[in-house]
Amino acid sequence: MSTISSRCAACKYLRRRCPPDCIFSPYFPSNDPQRFACVHRIYGASNVGKMIQQTPTQMRAQVADSLYFESRCRIQDPVYGCAGIISWLHLQIHNVESELAKVKAQIAFLNSDANRELSFRPQIEGDSSFNNLRTGESSVG
Amino acid sequence: MSSNPGSSNSGSGGVASTVAGGGPCGACKFLRRRCIPGCVFAPYFDSEQGAAHFAAVHKVFGASNASKLLLNIPAHRRPDAVVAICYEAQARLRDPVYGCVAHIFALQQQVMNLQAELSYLQAHLGPLELPTQSPPSLLPMQLPVPPHSLSIADLPIPFASLSMPAPYDVSSPFDPTTHPSPWAAGTLLRRTVDPRQFSGGSSLPSTMGEGDGDLRALTSELLGTQCPPQLPDDSPLPSTSEKD
Repeated sequence: MSTISSRCAACKYLRRRCPPDCIFSPYFPSNDPQRFACVHRIYGASNVGKMIQQTPTQMRAQVADSLYFESRCRIQDPVYGCAGIISWLHLQIHNVESELAKVKAQIAFLNSDANRELSFRPQIEGDSSFNNLRTGESSVG
Repeated sequence: MSSNPGSSNSGSGGVASTVAGGGPCGACKFLRRRCIPGCVFAPYFDSEQGAAHFAAVHKVFGASNASKLLLNIPAHRRPDAVVAICYEAQARLRDPVYGCVAHIFALQQQVMNLQAELSYLQAHLGPLELPTQSPPSLLPMQLPVPPHSLSIADLPIPFASLSMPAPYDVSSPFDPTTHPSPWAAGTLLRRTVDPRQFSGGSSLPSTMGEGDGDLRALTSELLGTQCPPQLPDDSPLPSTSEKD
């Protein structure tokens, strides 16, 4: 018997022998069969293999990961997939920007209100006429 | 390139045959096959620009997979699905490594930055408010900040350690504010997700190989805790039964 136990998840799924230079093996380990099942369902083994093959070796893990992410999104949401997440994030950005604008307006309002109070504060100290009124004295000689 | 309407020439190297009364759809034109009545692609890929769009879909998903995806969706939802699939295919061709996930990360980072700025300003707003004269309408709305949901570090994919494409144009056709479209409007109306629904305690592992639980958690957080009602079944994960 060949090394059945050392087949990667892709070769197990595809029921084939896993060669030593299997393109899928580093990115679809046998302990995570769902990972390849997801990408296979959306993209197909051939397309996944081509996309990995066409990428420099040091970036292939990211290709596999992003394909898995997108395929999971597509399985969860067959209509919108990742595009639904993007649209939702745009909505969040819009909402937060609206809140930011409101808060900035409130800050500006409160700052200007505080400045107005300071500028109209009556000068009680040193005002002789007021002091005279207070004590009942008359300033008229 | 056009062919006589109603012809039934289906030679492999010849012009795609046409359905009586019209030319082949963009998909069949690209595939150089006869466009049969009821072709699943015909309503969405016209014969002019549809072929170019379908080329991207074909290269990334494959015609068979794209057909299966569309056939599993109710007909009234297929236009939206085609737009999304075309977008993802073109994003993948533009960025063969990250595809549209790069866009998601960029937007996610933007949301985080804006929320941090909002939190900072709301904290700054507190001392400025005078208790005697603040009408209720001026009180800042506390925008709920999901503690973990939108964090690159939470993703099982180790993107955080890699440099993303520097200038990424986050203004996409799917921006509901600048590029309103029926598709985006439908999405916005349906996805009124309250970030307060996010569970704050779920910390996602950042290692690869544990994709199932944490990616599902991530997707649940990004999509909302409840599954979208349009999913055909509650556990749509494919079976891992071995196939030929």
